[in-house]
Amino acid sequence: MQARLARRKRRRYGAAMVRFENVGMRYGAGPEVLRDVTFVLEAGSFTFLTGLSGAGKTTLLKLIDMTEPPSRGLVTLFGNDLSVTKRSAFPALRRRIGVVFQDFRLLPHLSAFDNVALPLRIAGKRENDYVQDVEELLSWVGLGERMQAKPATLSGGEQQRIAIARAVVARPDLLIADEPTGNVDSEIGQRLIRLFAELNRLGTTVLIATHDRSLIEDLRAREMRLVDGRLVELRSARP
Amino acid sequence: MSLGAPGSILPREKGAAPLDVVIAVMAFLAALALGASLLAERTAAGWRAGLSDRLTVQIVPPANISAKALAREAETALSILRATAGIAHAEMLSESQTQALVAPWIGSGALLSELPLPRLIDATLVPGARIDSAGLARALKRAAPDSELDDHARWIARLAGLAAGITWSAYVILFLIALATASAVAFATRAGLDAHREMVELLHQMGARPSFIANAFERHYFMSTLGAALAGGALAAVFFLVAGSLESAGVEAAPFLPPLGLKMSEIGWLALVPAIAGIIALATARLSVLAALRKIY
Repeated sequence: MQARLARRKRRRYGAAMVRFENVGMRYGAGPEVLRDVTFVLEAGSFTFLTGLSGAGKTTLLKLIDMTEPPSRGLVTLFGNDLSVTKRSAFPALRRRIGVVFQDFRLLPHLSAFDNVALPLRIAGKRENDYVQDVEELLSWVGLGERMQAKPATLSGGEQQRIAIARAVVARPDLLIADEPTGNVDSEIGQRLIRLFAELNRLGTTVLIATHDRSLIEDLRAREMRLVDGRLVELRSARP
Repeated sequence: MSLGAPGSILPREKGAAPLDVVIAVMAFLAALALGASLLAERTAAGWRAGLSDRLTVQIVPPANISAKALAREAETALSILRATAGIAHAEMLSESQTQALVAPWIGSGALLSELPLPRLIDATLVPGARIDSAGLARALKRAAPDSELDDHARWIARLAGLAAGITWSAYVILFLIALATASAVAFATRAGLDAHREMVELLHQMGARPSFIANAFERHYFMSTLGAALAGGALAAVFFLVAGSLESAGVEAAPFLPPLGLKMSEIGWLALVPAIAGIIALATARLSVLAALRKIY
């Protein structure tokens, strides 16, 4: 019975990493911040989510990482309809997502190394198996010399790079990032975007919320724009 | 560099946290209670061993009996005891020995020599022998009407009751301390969850299972409780060792009470206190965290 249901779901939702159908979202009794949002993120796609401040970009990301449930509409993640998925299955779904938070959310008492290694620990990996990966990644984001530094001793840009390294270290199936280059200079910003592109090339589906037009122009990826809570498809990925 | 144990995901407080102080005091009191129960058990066993193979016959002098008649009754009783099967040795205490027994209570002045003290016969049983105390008492009464046989059964029963009372009181105290420890850890865990709410939410958002977060908290409180309970238990061990040393040096803690010193083999039992405190903290922290996380997950 369950296998039949799973097959039916796969037929319906296909290979989409994320699917939104007529999704609406309001906080409490407030006005809707997202209205009739419909889109699909195909597996392996690279998408920019743009819009003015307050357009609903962060809320849309919160629906994807299951921080908030939608007020209406259908949200599926990796083929799972979240409205009927058991909550006990959420941790496993979340571990397939890497999130770069706008406010970094680093643990202040842990070193840069330990912050980056956290998703691997959560996934149950042993320290010996990930030390090299974490060190290489920190070097790649330019923090090879600051592995033992606590977040409070790092600049905003350095903290942001740690947050990005933490989001990608477990090679997630889906990476969502909220203004990931907001606190870094253009050179580091370009490097980070190249890192995202490399992950995408290896199969990770990437969704980046940003208002940095230069990044969008450089990568020539698909762009979805939120205007007053409604989604406008501006451009498909270009070859 | 490494995270080490998952428990280290939680920040370590600098210095002793209030919970550490509470646990150390609890462990000290628990170790005292456990030590008291060990002392009570050992003392009662000693008393039982000392009295269970002994009989005492006293010839209580009535108001009008002469000293000669009293001595005759005593000799008759002594000869009956010596002729009884199962009695290895019977000996009459001299007048001075009898006076020495009561001297600690009424002093050794002129009053003592004027008191009509009973004649006492101390008998030792053959090891393992069983005596018909009632039959022997009747035989003694027939031959020496002023004799009274005391096989210490009443004393032994009262001492056993006293020891059992002390031991069970200690167990009740230990149970109450365990309950208080569990409550303190549960309270501290909930406070810890509140204090680290952002971290818990982040771990939750990164896909950590409830058991991963519970592990972090339970190890944190296990290590913290174990350390504090070790300190409290060690303090109690020092107390019993110092009391034992003072008693060995001739300093009596309290007259008529058993010695407070524990033997080294008994000190080892005190190690149970930090071990059990740690297990209580581990279980309490885990259950508290999982109960709290059920609201998030």
